[in-house]
Formats: sequence, C-alpha cells, structure tokens
Amino acid sequence: MLKFIVGRFVSYAVMLFIATSGVYFLASWFLDPRSNYLAMRPQPPIESINASLDYANINDQTPILERYWNWLTGVVLRWDWGYSPVGEPVSEIIWDRAWVSVQLVTISTVLAVVIGIAVGVRSAIRKYSAFDHTSNSISVLFLVMPSFVLALLVVLIYLELQATFDLHWFAVTGLGDGTFLSYVQHLFLPTLVLTLLGYVGFHLTQRTYLLDTMNADYVRTARAKGIPKNVAIRRHALRTSMIPTAYGIAFSITGTVTGALFVEQIFAINGAGLYFIETLSKNDINGAVSVAFLGGVATCAGLLLADIFVAILDPRIRIS
Amino acid sequence: MTINANVEASTEGEEQRITVQRTSKHRLILRRFCRNRQAVVGVVIVVLMVLYSIFAKYLTQWDYDEPDFTALKEAPSAEHWLGTDNVGGDLFVLNARGLGRSLMIGFIASIGITVIAAFVGTAIAYVEGIWEKAGTWVLDMMLVIPTFFLLAIMVSAASGTSGWIWLTFALMIFGWIGYARVLRSIAQSLRDREYVAAARYMGVKPLTILWRHMIPNLGSILIIHTVLGVVYAVEAETGLSFIGFGITPPDTSLGVLIKAGAASLQTAPWIFLTPALLLLALCYSMTKIGDGLRDALDPSSESGGKA
Repeated sequence: MLKFIVGRFVSYAVMLFIATSGVYFLASWFLDPRSNYLAMRPQPPIESINASLDYANINDQTPILERYWNWLTGVVLRWDWGYSPVGEPVSEIIWDRAWVSVQLVTISTVLAVVIGIAVGVRSAIRKYSAFDHTSNSISVLFLVMPSFVLALLVVLIYLELQATFDLHWFAVTGLGDGTFLSYVQHLFLPTLVLTLLGYVGFHLTQRTYLLDTMNADYVRTARAKGIPKNVAIRRHALRTSMIPTAYGIAFSITGTVTGALFVEQIFAINGAGLYFIETLSKNDINGAVSVAFLGGVATCAGLLLADIFVAILDPRIRIS
Repeated sequence: MTINANVEASTEGEEQRITVQRTSKHRLILRRFCRNRQAVVGVVIVVLMVLYSIFAKYLTQWDYDEPDFTALKEAPSAEHWLGTDNVGGDLFVLNARGLGRSLMIGFIASIGITVIAAFVGTAIAYVEGIWEKAGTWVLDMMLVIPTFFLLAIMVSAASGTSGWIWLTFALMIFGWIGYARVLRSIAQSLRDREYVAAARYMGVKPLTILWRHMIPNLGSILIIHTVLGVVYAVEAETGLSFIGFGITPPDTSLGVLIKAGAASLQTAPWIFLTPALLLLALCYSMTKIGDGLRDALDPSSESGGKA
C-alpha cells in the first residue's frame, strides 16, 4: 500500500511541475506587464521601464526560456515566487492569502461530503419516497446554478431578511476582527454557498452508486444470513459504493476552488482567489502563476487523499 | 429494438391484407423524448429564449444603445417592462442582447468542444498500449490546474466587441479535456470490435477509421455531451465576464449584466434578478433536455413505457 501511495505521489508531483511550467508559459504569452507602464501618463523613460521589468524578471525582451530558467531556479532553490510588476515579492503576500482560502475550501468540502453522503444514502434507502423526490429536485436546482448567482442570491436574501427582521447575525464582507464569534459570523454565509454548491455532486452520485450496489448478490447473501437491512447496507453496500465517491471528492475540489474565487470576490474576502483576479488585472505574471500552482496543489492533495482513502476501503489495493 | 411494428389488420374485399406500419428510428426517439415532460418544457423554454433574443428589439420602442435618461434605475413598469439599469438602459432589450451573445458563445463553444474531444478521445483509445497510457497521463496532467484559471489568464487581455470570438476559442481550447477522458474510456470497447479490426486489416487509414467507424458509434453520447456542454460553456462565459474578463462593455452578455446588477443588489435588485433568472432557466432547461435525450437515445434506459 505504501508503494502504491508513494508511486501516486511521485506521479502527481511530476504532473504538477509540468502543469505549472505550462501555466508560466501561458501567462508570459498572454499577460503584458509592459502595457501597464506604456499606459502611464506621463510615460516613464523606456530604460526605467526595462529596469523595472528586468527586476521582476518579466521583461518581454528577454528570451522566454531565460526568464523561465530564472523563475524556476528561484522557486526550486529559494522558494521565491518572484515579484509583481511594481516590485512587491509574491511570496510575502500569497501564503497569508492562501491560508484564508484553505480554511474556506476545507470547511465547506468537509461539510459538503458529510451532508451529501448522508442525504444520498438516505434517499437511496428510501428510493422514490417524498424525501427522495424533494431532495432530488433541490439538488438539481443547485446543480445547474452558477456559483456567483447562488452567492449573490444568498447575499440578496440575507440582506432582505436583515432589513425585514432587523437581525444582525452574519456579515457579508471580509473575515471579521479576529475574535472567534466574528470569525464564525463572517465565514457562515460564504461557507454556506460553497457547501450548497458542493454537496449536490455527492448526493446524486452516492445515491446512484448505492442503488447499484444495494441489490448486489453479496448484500442479498448478507441479508439472507440474518443481518438487519441497515447493517447490511452500511457494512457491505456502502463500503463498495464509497470508492467512486472518494474520487468524486478529489474532482470536486477543483470546482470548490473555482467557486471560492467567486465567493471571495462577492464577499470581499482577501483570499487567494481574489488575489488571482487582482494579479490578472495588473498583468502580474508571477502572482498569477503562484495562485494557479496553489489550485494545482489543491487538486493533487484531493487526488492523493482519495488514493489513500480508496486504498483503505479496497482490500485489493491494501494487500498487494 | 428500433423497429416497432404496429400491425393493423384491415379487410378489403375478399382477401385479408395486413399492412405493417414501421416506426422510424427518429420517430421512436422523438416519442421517447416527449415522454419526459420536463425535457419538453426545456425545449419550449430554449426555443422561446432564442426567439426572445432575436425579436425583443422589435417589441419595444427602446434600443440597447439608446438609454432613457428620464428613468434611471427604475423598477419594472408599463414603459420599461423589466425596468432600467444605472444609466437608463432598458433591461428588456439589454437582456435579450446579452442572452443572444451568451447563447451564441455557448452553442458554438460546445460544438467545438465535442468535435475536439471526440477526435482526441477516440484517437487515444485507438493507439492502445504505451501511447494510450501516455495520452491519458497528459490529459490528467492538463486537468491538474483548475481550467477556469487557465481560461482567465488567456482571456484577461482580450476586450472590445470582437472579444467574444476569442473567448469562444479559449473555451474550446480548454473545455475538451475532461470530455476526452470520458470518451476515451467509452471508445476503448469500440476499439476491440470486429468492424474496427476488419477496417484495419483492409488498410483503412487510422483517421478514416476514427471518423467513419468509431465516432459515429459514439453518436448518442456526443449529442448528450453537446447539449450539456452548452451549460458548461455558458457558465464559464458568464463567470469570466462576471469577474471582469471575457466579455467586456460595450459588448454585453448575461455575465456582464449580472456583474452590473451585483453593484446595486439592494437598491435595484431587478438589474441582477432578470439576467440571473434567464441564466438559471437556460442552464436548467439545457440540463433537462440532456436528461431527456439520454432517456430517448439510450436503449437500456429505464424511461419505461412501450418503445
């Protein structure tokens, strides 16, 4: 099992390296930091523009491979992610911002998994009941709703409620002043949005997979031997049906990271997603690449966790 | 069974003749599709939306580039059916224009994505062995970085009224990867069929085998993916426009309108609600049409009923 996990880890690390390098070339190709300076009035002298761009290693007159090599050695040897066009070090900003997003994504993913699987299992066991039909229609609605529309609707509904009942339970901007109560108040609505967006996938897939395995021969055998229905489902059917769900968690993280970008924009949370939007509007190549790298790390972490989880669930992998 | 025989016995004169009425494949699919009420409603909504986006400007006296300065941020009324925005633009025509743009991007991008995904997915399955492994690995690698980030980097610089073509192109460039992964696993079983082997031994070129023998057999899956791909493309487009990339004013789309509405969420909620509801209705009906098509095209589907 350890060999399996280590093999996967190495594979993901190589993927992440190549993908991040690809993003570096993509960003260098499409973002044009020189235009920031050319748009200034009065325009700075061309030597001074070149000096600023050279300092940040984003001068488009330097060959791209030379810039890439400088950037790569900086990241690998000194863990230095370069500078923005105006000379601020990316590494000083990105990690605080990333920590904010990590909290948001982790809390809502955990909630989404727990709620999604619970609803999925319940609606599979009581197939075609009122609960199944209601939860299904609600989930399809959230499934098709774009994340920013849902976030804005939540804000709109909350503000209406606040105006009508004069309740000030939650806040819709920022992350509060540091006390635990204000932290919860500020994090509640963004987390609610991301959880609603995330649980849908787990509900619908878990329902399908459990329905597939619930009527399997080994579950019927277990029932025939006298095990109560719920125990048979929990021990025999649920375990098998969780394997595809585990990989679903890994792929849902990509969606949650993208959702977090919108949520951070709408709730004015200074996380990595908002930083990404800022870097793109400032043509900050190094900043944008660092956030894309973080997105890749989140995906790979999800895939690796799924591998570990599946290895525990699936004896074929655990034993070999 | 694609041939359904309605046997009618009719007596004409002395001899007894039996006429066999065949149900054609398309008629059968249509009948199965129509059994799914929500899918039919979805088709009606999408058709109405297309008509609305084309003909709305003839129904009212207002034009999208002709703001009514006497009515700024006005709630829906008899004069402005869906209200006006911050600068007095009539939302009935603005929404129609934005919806038209979003529909156009969604459909073109989705068709392009399906074509690319079908070719790459079947090609990777066709080559087998080490190259198939390598191809799958490359697809996985391209999915490591969230696609939305790559899209945003690519379109952040584009602007102006021709920006939407660039955005559609970008959606095609990055949208096919996930579909190609799915199609590869389905095409694996096609690769081992006798007719593919026969074509190969007859010396048919690999590209012709893909085009003539493998892709047509994925037909129903491709149609479903194209319909659901519209949802993906429209959501990506509106999302990018919402954070300020992709479509930018003076051009408009549902995303641009929602972004404008978000700024005055409390004071003038209709600026946000009207394009948001259009977007929701579009995504919901396309998803339902996709479900209906899956039931209609998949012979093993449990949609029930006779034929």
